[in-house]
Amino acid sequence: MGISRGARLSGMQKQVLSLYRGFLRAARSKPEEERRKIESILSEEFRRNSKQVDRKNFIYIEYLLRRGKKQLDQLKDPGTTGLSSLQVHLPQTNKRGH
Amino acid sequence: MALRAAILRHVRVPVQTLSLTAPKSIPWGSFLRSMSSHGDDHLSKEEVIERVLSVVKDFPKVDPSKVTPDVHFQKDLGLDSLDNVEIVMALEEEFKLEIPDKEADKIDSLSLAIEYIHNHPMAS
Repeated sequence: MGISRGARLSGMQKQVLSLYRGFLRAARSKPEEERRKIESILSEEFRRNSKQVDRKNFIYIEYLLRRGKKQLDQLKDPGTTGLSSLQVHLPQTNKRGH
Repeated sequence: MALRAAILRHVRVPVQTLSLTAPKSIPWGSFLRSMSSHGDDHLSKEEVIERVLSVVKDFPKVDPSKVTPDVHFQKDLGLDSLDNVEIVMALEEEFKLEIPDKEADKIDSLSLAIEYIHNHPMAS
């Protein structure tokens, strides 16, 4: 949907940035190592979508926002240590097998 | 005995020497510091500027030589709106604040960040 450079933010952009902020806040409560991993996945995901998703494709962006909010609620759960269970298409990050 | 008592009554210990030596034995410095921190421990503008500059210079995507107190994050430092969110979050941690979304969205330059933090009563 494109990343704004200093222009005034649309309502939808604000929602996306707010979601990003929410994720970064939730990541703060995790152990240091997990936190770094979560932050790098977040940064990658948001930037990838910002490049790939057409900024006028409101229906799809709305869908991503809804999905993101659900994932954020899961991440806020103290038992959740990583994003691996939330984003199945990404490599597993917290299943170490021992 | 009467003579001794009379002499003692008239002897005056020079008070001056006391007041001259007293200040040396009292740790005025720490006393004054504890008094000042008890009341108003608000950060000075200079300290806010210095710490905001150092947080922004440490940001991985930023060229530290470009960072001055009046740069705009996106126009001058080539950052995007997601980087902007990350910088404001890093400032929250540095100053132990939580900046609400509505305010955070407005902070897009160093001078606005400095102003917001300097005016925030909880910044530390």
